[in-house]
Amino acid sequence: MIKFIIQVNSPAYGSASSYNAYRFTEAAVQNGHLIDKVFFYQDGVLNTNSLNSPASDEFDLQKAWLSLSEQYKFPLVNCVSAALRRGVLSVSEAKENNTGNWNMEPPFIMGGLGELVTGIESADRLVSF
Amino acid sequence: MKKLCIVFSQGPHGNAKGREALDLALLSASFEQEVSLVFTDEGILNLLKHQSPETVGAKDYIATFGALPLYDVETILVCEAAMEELELAEHDIKLEVQFSSSQAIAEHFNHVDEVLVF
Amino acid sequence: MILHHIQVSAAQSAALKLCLRYINSTDSILLSSNAVNCLLNKEWQSRLSGYNILVLEDDVIARGLQSRLSAFKMISYADFVALTLTHNKVISW
Repeated sequence: MIKFIIQVNSPAYGSASSYNAYRFTEAAVQNGHLIDKVFFYQDGVLNTNSLNSPASDEFDLQKAWLSLSEQYKFPLVNCVSAALRRGVLSVSEAKENNTGNWNMEPPFIMGGLGELVTGIESADRLVSF
Repeated sequence: MKKLCIVFSQGPHGNAKGREALDLALLSASFEQEVSLVFTDEGILNLLKHQSPETVGAKDYIATFGALPLYDVETILVCEAAMEELELAEHDIKLEVQFSSSQAIAEHFNHVDEVLVF
Repeated sequence: MILHHIQVSAAQSAALKLCLRYINSTDSILLSSNAVNCLLNKEWQSRLSGYNILVLEDDVIARGLQSRLSAFKMISYADFVALTLTHNKVISW
């Protein structure tokens, strides 16, 4: 059993990489491995936009991330500076920026790049998508 | 402490890759990791002198490359094959770097713990 | 031993070209998503011959390329996870 950190750099829709990241993460936990965290960087932060609205007959990647993280108890962490620039805000960034709207909700959490770095340090293996 | 190698493989200002790679490099170094940088393909254009990113509404993160020595990032490898492909000369590059063969860069990838490509 | 992970088509990205510039003979290349398409091309086939090439099976099936790419080793996501452990690191180009 080893501990992975998964880095997701592509959006939920428009690129296949984040789906592949999800399938890899699912296979890792199903094979008894641990996930330190899934870290969303670059366009990957768009996976956490709660306004993503796929059609009802399409695979809902965001919902899939949420249920996998709930079942296997690993955190889903956004890079806050990458998220802000791409219009993804939690309630606390909304307050800081004096806007009444936000589109990122728990269990997704905002973190700094430091969380990616400490995650890489404590995990056995980094896999980026 | 881990040895992290960050690879710049795309040119600046057309997308955010270079800027987000540099953010990660500086942050990793401030978290006491052993950080090295590799510039290859059009990524070497990040290091070209006389850029004016504001002309295209981009932030001048290029100036921040100058802060790398302050963060103790000393291993900066520039791919000789990429220099040749883009017909650049050593004096075109604004940082103190090591111009390296593909073989030397391959060995470096083997030596570090993780490689992150931007 | 490095597992080189290519996700984007060679027609759109320099990832595969760069991976080949720095690869060691004991490394492996995993093609996923549109990166699998390069295996249809004779020139890429010959540039990749001699390396341990792995292809993510679901991405091949999704694209209807099973019979055309049957000469290559297809792997599942569980195999992908196992490969990351038998290699020292993964480089996602």
